[in-house]
Amino acid sequence: MGGYGDIQLLREDGLRLDGRKIDEMRPVSIEAGILPAADGSAMVTHGLNVAVAAVYGPMEAHPRKIQRQDRAVIDVRYNMAPFSTSDRIRPGYNRRSREISKVTAEALESVVLVERFPRSKIRVEIEILAAEAGTRCAGITAASVALADAGIPMRDFIVGVASGKVEGTVVLDLDKAEDNYGQADLPVGILPNTGEIAFLQMDGDLSPDEYNLAMEYNFKAAAEIHEIMVDALKKRYEGGEN
Amino acid sequence: MVELVPTLLRQELARLAEADQRMDGRERFEAREVTLETDCLYNAEGSAKVTMGKTIVYAGVKFEIRTPWPDRPAEGSLMCGAELRPVAHRKYEPGPPSPESIELGRVVDRGIRESGCIDMSGLCIVPGEKVWGVMIDIHVLSDGGNIFDACGLAAIAALRTAVVPAERFDVGEDYTLKVNGTPIMASFTRVGGRYIYDPSEEEELGGDERIHITLGDEGHLHSLQKGLRGVFTPAEFAEIFDVAQQRCGELRNLVANQEGN
Repeated sequence: MGGYGDIQLLREDGLRLDGRKIDEMRPVSIEAGILPAADGSAMVTHGLNVAVAAVYGPMEAHPRKIQRQDRAVIDVRYNMAPFSTSDRIRPGYNRRSREISKVTAEALESVVLVERFPRSKIRVEIEILAAEAGTRCAGITAASVALADAGIPMRDFIVGVASGKVEGTVVLDLDKAEDNYGQADLPVGILPNTGEIAFLQMDGDLSPDEYNLAMEYNFKAAAEIHEIMVDALKKRYEGGEN
Repeated sequence: MVELVPTLLRQELARLAEADQRMDGRERFEAREVTLETDCLYNAEGSAKVTMGKTIVYAGVKFEIRTPWPDRPAEGSLMCGAELRPVAHRKYEPGPPSPESIELGRVVDRGIRESGCIDMSGLCIVPGEKVWGVMIDIHVLSDGGNIFDACGLAAIAALRTAVVPAERFDVGEDYTLKVNGTPIMASFTRVGGRYIYDPSEEEELGGDERIHITLGDEGHLHSLQKGLRGVFTPAEFAEIFDVAQQRCGELRNLVANQEGN
């Protein structure tokens, strides 16, 4: 979280720089089954973020040492394309993407019925094509839809959403400027049907009350995105228009 | 991952070749439908998405300011790289760049570089101190066969829409990158004993060597590459070269039409 700086993130009229209300999320659209080579796939456009997820498997887990006798392992790779950010990113895995991959895999392992596939591996590839704050959340949402598209049994979806704090005010779904100059960021992965949380990170400064409000916003947004996820899958399998 | 080449697939492809047919019903030199979209990625200074059948490829252009090479103090640079990430197919695994992805990036790079469509001296900001480095990154999202042509098309289309972000680097005003020409690649794979254009995934799996031809606006050759095990005769090359001339012209028109919109 950067300093307060001289950038004003909230306008006089109480709206945000991009005209959104405090508890309004950026537009989200989701398409399932976009990659023909994959067993399941999805593209999530969240504001200006574009996240693509592909699922392969369940397949044989190798190297052997990663095998679990009682369940499948989920192998997640979160990767930002070199052209996804303002300054080009050198291709390859870095510490940030390794950490995000790890916690995303652990979140997904908590909803996928991994006990059904002992000794196997499910590969989840998350590619960020365009980044504007909130890519890990868009990636989690995309991964959930891609897993469902691949027909992998799950007890629930995970919806990736984030709230944060700018200029002392809790706001839903930080954009780039708010993420850079804001005071806190709280990305979570919510199970929309059970109301449980499978993914949680936070940095910055939030009071307990602010945390509660941020979470409230997150749950509200998760319900909205959940509907869009379901629609995307219905469209794919019911042969709706497009 | 070891790829198993099913004998049955090879036999079937040979049988079809005998009758001058292809698995998906195409003619020998018939292409799959190609779609091209440009300016489709936020944050990339130039971008393109290409689909060819089940193949999906994105290319993005980024700029950076660097110090020039000592032996070319007044010239910028161009770099084109391709990533065959595990997202694109179950046969691709994570790790350092594979020989396949290096070959792919370098073949596309040569076609663009050697066509001379980018004037390297035009990328100079302050001689001996500051020049633009242009980077084209190609991201294969779905490998459904013939990724070389898809990557080549995406790369040049992205480059042709690129805007030099001079304002962001505090070296003047943004301007459209000058690109003189549209080099296009056409690739052929030997399947069932004879060359076909625009191989599908199955045709690549059960096929043999491949030839990549990159042609400039005037029909001149700018890059050639033979990949995989196999040999060809001059007569075979002459035949596919004619096809390449025609096909490159069509794809060049596709790029021009996209820009016209």
